[in-house]
Amino acid sequence: MSAAHLPRLSALPLAQRLTLLFVAIASAVLLGLGAVVASLVEQHFEDLDMEVLSGKMELISQALHSVANQQDLTGLAHQLARSLVGHHGLEVMLLDADQTVLFATANARFEPQQLVAKASPHAVLWPQGAQTYRVLTAQIPTAVQDVQGRPQKVFVAAAIDIGHHQAFMQAFLHTLWWFVAGAAVVMAVLGWWAVRRGLAPLRAMRAQAQGVTAQQLSHRLQVESMPIELAELAHTLNDMLARLEEAFGRLSEFSSDIAHELRTPVSNLMTQTQVALSRARNADDYRNVLESNAEEFERMARMIADMLLLAKADHGLVLPQLEMLPMAQEVRAVLDYFEMLAEEKNLSLQLSGEASLLADRLMMRRALSNLISNAVRHAQVGSVIRVELQNLADQLEITVTNRGETIAPEHLERVFDRFFRADSARHRDSEGRSEGTGLGLAITQSIVSAHGGSIRASSAQGVTTFTLRIPQRLTA
Amino acid sequence: MKILIVEDEPKTGDYLKQGLSEAGFTVDLARNGVDGLHLALTESYELAILDVMLPGIDGWGVLAGIRRSGKDMPVMFLTARDAVDDRVKGLELGADDYLLKPFAFSELLARVRTLMRRGSKTPTDPFLRVADLELDLLRRRVTRAGQRIDLTAKEFALLELLLRRQGEVLPRSLIASQVWDMNFDSDTNVIEVAMRRLRAKVDDAFEPKLIRTVRGMGYVLESPL
Repeated sequence: MSAAHLPRLSALPLAQRLTLLFVAIASAVLLGLGAVVASLVEQHFEDLDMEVLSGKMELISQALHSVANQQDLTGLAHQLARSLVGHHGLEVMLLDADQTVLFATANARFEPQQLVAKASPHAVLWPQGAQTYRVLTAQIPTAVQDVQGRPQKVFVAAAIDIGHHQAFMQAFLHTLWWFVAGAAVVMAVLGWWAVRRGLAPLRAMRAQAQGVTAQQLSHRLQVESMPIELAELAHTLNDMLARLEEAFGRLSEFSSDIAHELRTPVSNLMTQTQVALSRARNADDYRNVLESNAEEFERMARMIADMLLLAKADHGLVLPQLEMLPMAQEVRAVLDYFEMLAEEKNLSLQLSGEASLLADRLMMRRALSNLISNAVRHAQVGSVIRVELQNLADQLEITVTNRGETIAPEHLERVFDRFFRADSARHRDSEGRSEGTGLGLAITQSIVSAHGGSIRASSAQGVTTFTLRIPQRLTA
Repeated sequence: MKILIVEDEPKTGDYLKQGLSEAGFTVDLARNGVDGLHLALTESYELAILDVMLPGIDGWGVLAGIRRSGKDMPVMFLTARDAVDDRVKGLELGADDYLLKPFAFSELLARVRTLMRRGSKTPTDPFLRVADLELDLLRRRVTRAGQRIDLTAKEFALLELLLRRQGEVLPRSLIASQVWDMNFDSDTNVIEVAMRRLRAKVDDAFEPKLIRTVRGMGYVLESPL
């Protein structure tokens, strides 16, 4: 199986992942601990061996110092044989300069040439048949002099069989491996259990979340019984549910509003047309009906267009065609449009400030037009409507202020709702046009959010202000 | 003045044909793309109005066929689809206008006349007249029955539009677009107010009345004679 077919760690379930990590870490720690202990024990054994070997070497060295002639050397063998009795596993061999064995303990089966070749100031390990020896060698001068008159040296090798130490180490390591393997299995089982237990709140959360459907958006996750990390997540999810519930509620309300708003003109059309058709009438009557129908159709067409725009804006499909707009100029164009309407009510329109904004011209005009239309509609006769442009740190603030009736706080937060009208009775102006679809401010809000901005309304002491804030992006 | 309509919706097709015929055009109606393209290639029209969603060949296909044959008659699309992409596609393929359903018939008529007027340049006359009303474009002066009438700039623009399109019913959205550059259908009664003021100055003190409201459609300026 190639590496690509192995499940990646990050793709494993959380419980398996945590268990694997847990087992891996614990095994590594145990193995490390074992390695430290083994190396300390081995060091200790070596120290013990070296103590014995160097003691013996000292003893032999002293004995050799007292040797003055060949006879003494022979006598030395007996002396050494006596003093070395009882040291199990300790082998000693003495060689003269010609590599002739002067003395050797009973079991010492070292080859003299090999011994000399192995000569080293430090102890060395030397496997010899089934045994392993630790060997210490030295050349020790004696009082005997050779032909050139130099002191004759004796080559001494002391070796100790470390077989039982090795056997111990082997058994120790063997036990350690089995222990680690066993521990890994136990840790896997316990770890799995612990992780499952630890993740139980997550499963509980999942079970609760499964209960949430479109019909039961009021359902909330229980936060009290959860560990703190999950409680935060649950809070976040609950907030999300609250937002969804609200949005869903608005949507349902919107659908029923649409049905209601469309039902009115359709019912007008049906009744009027059917009444007109119920008996023969003169041409003027028919014309009247048709004209009235045309008005209703116009209203419906506008409402459908507005609702489509809102629906598309909700899905982020309205991609504004951005261009750099001199906003004072744009506002003036819109104010121009409302000039005559304002004069009718003896209102004056004022603009202050200067700013430019990267925005969609058509949409921005429409947003402003809705706001100003709203202000004109509700302004007190003879008052002033002010539009102010103000550059804040990195956004443009546009405020539209009018003097008129204060909007009640409970209405204020709903003015951007679709089809919301503070006055539920429908007004018609002198020419019989309705006062609008009730979508104007909702459309303004959509346009502003499409540009990444925000809008809010405030109203107090007869002064109502709509404040738009739109980020001033430098690039398109 | 022959117009080709390609529209598969029976009622829409019939009413378009009736409306345009009554407006003085000769109209051929095709119910599907294949017939439409055939007519467009064999007959001679001054304008084609194409629905986008058609059985057989769709509106884009008909337009492409027309353009391939080298005919450069103006083409207007009628569609219920208003995605920006569709609009761009239509215009890129060489459509001259694009009208969304539902549309006001007066709007369609106004656009049809604009498209057909294009190309046939009339010599520029600095005076626009109807009955005893005269508008001097150079000196920006308006007189009726020899009497000077003072108009604001917007009122002048509005009257100029009505005079240039006399006899046509101008929908409010077209007026807002042409006079104030407000290219969206807003629900204010700005246009009504503007028309009322214009009439007060141009019509109220005079006979005959020249500006007429067509309920549910818009406004028209015409000599009643």
